[in-house]
Amino acid sequence: MKKLMRTAAVAAAVTLALAACGSGGGNPAANVSPTGEIKPRQISWLLSRPADGAVINIMKKVADEYAQTHPGFSLNLITTPDRPSYIQKYETLAAANKLPELFDTDATPFAQQLAKKGTMVDAEKLLKDLGVYDTYRTNALNYQRFDDGSLYMIPFQFELEYFWYNKALFQQAGVSVPKSLDDIPAMCTALRKAGITPLALDGQDQWPLERYVSYQPFRDAGPDFVQKLKKGDAKFSDATGQRTVNWISQLGGASCFQDGFSSQGYSDAQNLFTSGKAAMYNIGTWELPSLATDKLNPAVRSDVDYFTLPATPTSATAANEYVATSGIGMAVNSSTFDPLVKDFLKFALAKYPSEYAATGALSPTTNVQTTIPANATPLYKKAIDQAQDLGTKLAMPWDTQLDPTTNSRLQQELVLLAQGNVKPAEFTSTMDSTIAQNAPKFFK
Amino acid sequence: MLPNRSRLSVLVFLLPPLLLYGVAVLFPILQSLFLSFFSWNGISDMEFVGFANYVRMLTGDSVFWHSFINALGYLSICLVLQLGGALFVASLLTSLRRGAGIIKTLYLLPAVISTVAIAFLFVRIYSIDPVGLLNQVLGWIGLGGLERPWLSDVNTVLTAVSAPEGWRFTGLYMLIIYAALLAVPQELEEAARLDGANQWQLFTKIRFPYIRPVWITTTIMATTYGLRGFDIPYLMTNGGPGQSSELLTTYMYKTAFTSTDFGYASTISVFIVIECLVAVGLILLMLKRKADA
Repeated sequence: MKKLMRTAAVAAAVTLALAACGSGGGNPAANVSPTGEIKPRQISWLLSRPADGAVINIMKKVADEYAQTHPGFSLNLITTPDRPSYIQKYETLAAANKLPELFDTDATPFAQQLAKKGTMVDAEKLLKDLGVYDTYRTNALNYQRFDDGSLYMIPFQFELEYFWYNKALFQQAGVSVPKSLDDIPAMCTALRKAGITPLALDGQDQWPLERYVSYQPFRDAGPDFVQKLKKGDAKFSDATGQRTVNWISQLGGASCFQDGFSSQGYSDAQNLFTSGKAAMYNIGTWELPSLATDKLNPAVRSDVDYFTLPATPTSATAANEYVATSGIGMAVNSSTFDPLVKDFLKFALAKYPSEYAATGALSPTTNVQTTIPANATPLYKKAIDQAQDLGTKLAMPWDTQLDPTTNSRLQQELVLLAQGNVKPAEFTSTMDSTIAQNAPKFFK
Repeated sequence: MLPNRSRLSVLVFLLPPLLLYGVAVLFPILQSLFLSFFSWNGISDMEFVGFANYVRMLTGDSVFWHSFINALGYLSICLVLQLGGALFVASLLTSLRRGAGIIKTLYLLPAVISTVAIAFLFVRIYSIDPVGLLNQVLGWIGLGGLERPWLSDVNTVLTAVSAPEGWRFTGLYMLIIYAALLAVPQELEEAARLDGANQWQLFTKIRFPYIRPVWITTTIMATTYGLRGFDIPYLMTNGGPGQSSELLTTYMYKTAFTSTDFGYASTISVFIVIECLVAVGLILLMLKRKADA
């Protein structure tokens, strides 16, 4: 019997994680000027960023500098780079009211509920109070905002997403850069005929395919479509929704993605493109070191170029408006916000941009210039300079917009649609009913 | 009858593990049962919904039933590989005079490899681009037409994620059954042989009835492990493509930690507990009936 009862181990994991639950509370989020003296101690940042990435390395360095003038201070960085694992950890800690001083989150419906409960410090007021608000790129801050325009997360990066392509493979298949999204299925057919994989896709992580479903609505109806869709005010059965559903189905029908894409990961997709087997790869500027430096396979190095999300004159959004994200943001826990946390943030946010830009990345602020690495190809500078000509409307990744249940279902159903396992009509019906069932819980 | 002092000693020694068991196993089950009557996302106020979660699970959630059917398929494949494979290999081992030790070790090896390593190993084995071992072997033996992305094909993915789990524990159950087979008295077998019994009769009339208690335990272990299967399918496909390899356990986990629907996830976990109890009850009943027959 003892063995049998152990079968509830997974159930126990859920309940034990929730054992310390409480409705929680916290200081008013609006208070960005805590009083009292600065008492150095260890503060923690629960984050989801690469362990050896620029953000962590710079923040470690900055924290060490701060500790020199504030003996007893240290910054404990607890990173979980794998995003789904991180979200589980963060949401469980939020449920238990055990979030540390600083924690990463996207502007998701769950985060908005936390903000409404007063768990997070108002980032707009905090940045203004620290005197750095105006230095941030408007797009970088807008990416972090909730639907109501409120800002509770501070960005640490700024990335633009492009379609990287291999000019030699395009030439071999007799295709050129697409003028509209609708050109892509025909391009895929031509590339396949030439024995080339059209698009390299990391299907395992699911968000890359979800980007594709957002493109047609962004060009067709602008950024508002997803805002309406997530609340059930717009549907996949609407004209715009049908356009994207049919387009994904066409991409699948034209074998645009590599065979078995759904079980292939991030590095598989990247290798496919950098080894010269795939003609296109949709990824952000965070991959510039791999795509536009001498680290790139010499066989394809001079053939790589990029184009931005295709737009037509009738598109609702301009050609210089596409996916531009400032990554996962950092929230400040209002219940542990004190003079020390504020003082450290003031110190760190002043130092961070120049250090970050020196690594060759785009800073979320406009007061520094990115240093182009010595081993960069000319494409590096071109991709970085593109940020200066960015429009004001952003194509928001849908995984940060939809309620979590709808998002999971969409990610699953998209794979089936792209693989041809479900028909567009079935997909539409499933997704519209999923949204109708789940959206009201998050967007009352 | 134990003297009073001895009874007290027994109680003193039994109580702590019993308390630990209650806190670590029974309490979470009862807490899940309690939570299953609420709607709660972890940060909102808990809202009592009565049996609404159960009604939703049983009548309005197609993913739940899809996962349940998948879980049964996963269990069947695991049981065939683990118990069938273990019994077959153990029977062959008893007839080996040399090398049984090496074979036992080789079969047991997967049981000590980490789950994550096994999952990644099989993702590579099933891969189509770059070509994995399975597709390569199919090509070599002239069955190139069967080459496919095994983990992306909705028709093959469930078998593909079940096979590593079955393969992994075959050695462990083989060892248990092998030990039981070694304990079968030689004189019984010799007597049966003298009476003219062939190998099949020897197995069905002498060996298997003799190892039945061990077989029951092994079947219960394999079934409960199979019903709790989570890690390998989660790591290999995360339940996909679509819900093709979604099991009740992975669905429950996602409902809790991705959808933050802790009330409904608790409802699914209560179902898993009941499902395991029913499965074990059925096994005991069937094997007892056969033994009585």
